[in-house]
Amino acid sequence: MRVEQALRLLPNLEALMPLRGLLLSSARPDERVQWGSGGPYLTIGKRDVEPGELTRRVGPVLAVVTEHIGALYRAYVEALEAQERGEPTSAVTALLGAGRREEHVGRLEQASAWYEVALALAEGLQDRRPEVETLLACGRVCLAHGWYAEGGRHYQRALVLAEAGFDQAGAIDACIGLGGVAFERAEWAGAQAWYSRALRLVEAGGDGLRLGRIEHQLGLLARRQGDLARAGEHLRRARECLEPLSAGHEMARVLDAQGELDAALGRPGPAAEAFREALAWVRRDEHDPGLDITIRLHLAELLLDTGRWLEAEEEMRRGEQLAITSNQTRGLVRIYTLLGTLRGRQGDETGFVFFEQAIALCRALEGPPIDEARVYDAYGLFRQSCGGPDEARAYLERAREIFRSLGVDAEVERVEAELQALSA
Amino acid sequence: MTRPTQETTAPASPRAPTEAVRVLAVGGEAGPGPLQSLRQWAAELKVELEWAADLPRATRLLAGGQWDLVLAVLGDRSDEELTWWVDALRGAPGGPRLIALADRPSMGLALRAEKLGVLDVLALPLKREALATALARVRSAVTEVAVPLPPVEVDADGHYALVGQSPAMLDVYKLMARVAHSTATVLVQGESGTGKEVVARTIHQHGPAATGAFVAVNCAAIPENLLESELFGHEKGAFTGAVARKIGRFEQAAGGTLFLDEIADMSLALQAKILRAVQEREIERVGGGEPIPVTVRLIAATNRDLQTAIAQGRFREDLYYRLAVVTIQLPRLIDRGDDLLLLIAHFARQFAQRYGKRIEALSDRALELLRHHQWVGNVRELRNVIERAAIVATDATLRTEHLPDELRAEEPGVPERTAGGLPTLAEAEARHIARVLAHTGGQIGAAADVLGIHRNTLTRKMKEYGL
Repeated sequence: MRVEQALRLLPNLEALMPLRGLLLSSARPDERVQWGSGGPYLTIGKRDVEPGELTRRVGPVLAVVTEHIGALYRAYVEALEAQERGEPTSAVTALLGAGRREEHVGRLEQASAWYEVALALAEGLQDRRPEVETLLACGRVCLAHGWYAEGGRHYQRALVLAEAGFDQAGAIDACIGLGGVAFERAEWAGAQAWYSRALRLVEAGGDGLRLGRIEHQLGLLARRQGDLARAGEHLRRARECLEPLSAGHEMARVLDAQGELDAALGRPGPAAEAFREALAWVRRDEHDPGLDITIRLHLAELLLDTGRWLEAEEEMRRGEQLAITSNQTRGLVRIYTLLGTLRGRQGDETGFVFFEQAIALCRALEGPPIDEARVYDAYGLFRQSCGGPDEARAYLERAREIFRSLGVDAEVERVEAELQALSA
Repeated sequence: MTRPTQETTAPASPRAPTEAVRVLAVGGEAGPGPLQSLRQWAAELKVELEWAADLPRATRLLAGGQWDLVLAVLGDRSDEELTWWVDALRGAPGGPRLIALADRPSMGLALRAEKLGVLDVLALPLKREALATALARVRSAVTEVAVPLPPVEVDADGHYALVGQSPAMLDVYKLMARVAHSTATVLVQGESGTGKEVVARTIHQHGPAATGAFVAVNCAAIPENLLESELFGHEKGAFTGAVARKIGRFEQAAGGTLFLDEIADMSLALQAKILRAVQEREIERVGGGEPIPVTVRLIAATNRDLQTAIAQGRFREDLYYRLAVVTIQLPRLIDRGDDLLLLIAHFARQFAQRYGKRIEALSDRALELLRHHQWVGNVRELRNVIERAAIVATDATLRTEHLPDELRAEEPGVPERTAGGLPTLAEAEARHIARVLAHTGGQIGAAADVLGIHRNTLTRKMKEYGL
């Protein structure tokens, strides 16, 4: 049975989300379809799922779900007991732990709910460090979810409290978070100011890991501002900080940024080498499939931009396989968006199936609205290139609406420029 | 059209077989310990050895030079690591082969490695003889001889050209010529990748509707819930997501040809609507009340057996008879004899032009490999293989090192994994099960049916063999 048919039989209930994830992760392509004319358009919806395979895998998945829910229940009971003992700080720690668990499995809204409860409790404490820690967690989730304004407020409050309490690490993290919010909203001057402030604080403390992270962020920022030489310098310094620490994931992120920088400089060879080395660094620590997929997508974009379509598609398909088996639905949305863009470059109108699949995934898994906005944006450009101006306009308007609701003004302006170009 | 010449030219490889093999050994996180003896054997085995302590360093070395062989020590997550290595070596300069080293390689790992085209899986501590055998296989690859590619005449450009002169294809051409000038509905049948769309386009180009549009719809690719609106169009607001009025493919093809590919993938409800459109020559947009007259030539294609689908109640018999006024059956690539070389030449030139290269020959070993391959994906699979080879080729000859690992793993005469002897019964069984599972896309039920055993038995055996 095809996944698209199987999904129609599954009610959209939160309790069934793990089953939905299991269904998607156990989907396999039918070999006949792979080589058939439908092969180039194969999406997860057109993969096959076997009820017997699901039956076999339900047990282990239920065990993981039970373990997860059990941990949340235990965290709650631990918080209650701590409160009863008159140890509210321990209660906050337990609630934060539950939030982190939710965050770790990508349940951002649920994580946010735990953090809000923890925050309400932490606000009443004399010691402000738990509150700072909770605010930083709230900010992180908001940033990941695309709730930039709210994230900014959390980080701002964390900074004030951290500085008042001489909490150097908290203040640095808050500055990095505020820089991240400004960066996502394309407020380059603001981002520069926050990262520079974080840099001054961290230089005083000699924390190599945080220093590397900030240099990395400054590198990304400089690239966005178009100062590629300065970006290269920051990324070089980030590598110098992080490589001796053998910080695998951090190094992978820096090399990923280096690859993007080399691509922007028109150096596809070094860019590809940087991405491949980044993938090697991902393997050094516990494998992070989300990061792996991000790097593969950037590599695929590079191949796409240099006209190496076959290799680009192969890289995307590898990313797709990884996203499916590791349940990285957000990654899958990005992969299908890029596959649709590839088909658009090839002038292949049937590529619309990838955008439709990406939108269906966004809706079925209730992902962050910013993901959906990005799909609509790319879908609009695809329709434009394939000669469907009415549909192109409708999709771009939908993207603009979502970006506007999230307060991402730079994206709103960019989409408006695309709409104007369409009218012209 | 000329036949391929068999005269030999200069050796295709720039390297001589006596040259040292360049080996990159990657010690994994455990350090060089497991491979210590390699250094002692290097001179004797004519190996130029370089060491990388970890994956990032190995990646840098791979990017910076040409390697013949990578010896990688796999850790606890050997399956994952093996896949990573195969990915990492794809496109590395010089097309290095991979030998995976593991403490206790399971049969599952060996089979997986075989499927991925890994040269060998060896147990640690590394034995000199096992390494020498593997190196001999690497060296044998440098004695390839170039075979010039034959000229190919095609009557269409690029992507949609029909290439071939085998008896099976000549029959197809004759039938196409007979139907092209009529407006008869045509059903093109053949396995995946045999060129059904190319045939449909050629019929259109030579038919009375040639000045009209050729509109292709891939029924297997489009989500079921969108296929109806894709074919018949929709009015604005007809359903969620109907953001603007859409003209469907039937209307787009008016006065031309509508090609419905993979028609067997359509639901019965939609089949009924297609039948109505064919019979009444009118359609209705989704959400629209007015019938719209359309005149199109219909060509349908499928890789399924429609008679079986009819017997199973999955395809409408009346629609079948409407579509199969003329049926063209396309041959499999392996049944097309020397067409293989002509297709190779055609694709090699096509992709050489696209990627700004000059490709004039194919090595004898590469041709041998291509001739022995089963081509499940037929011409489409061949096209992919040649495109990939054209991308990675550095001179005018396509050689085995430019072919995908999966294909290189099929090299004829490759010694069995079990040193010096035939495989055990368990090994043969495990290998066969792995092949059937690959064939069924990992579906256990289907694999059990093919093997003729109960699925529980198959599950037990898979567990036993680490598959």
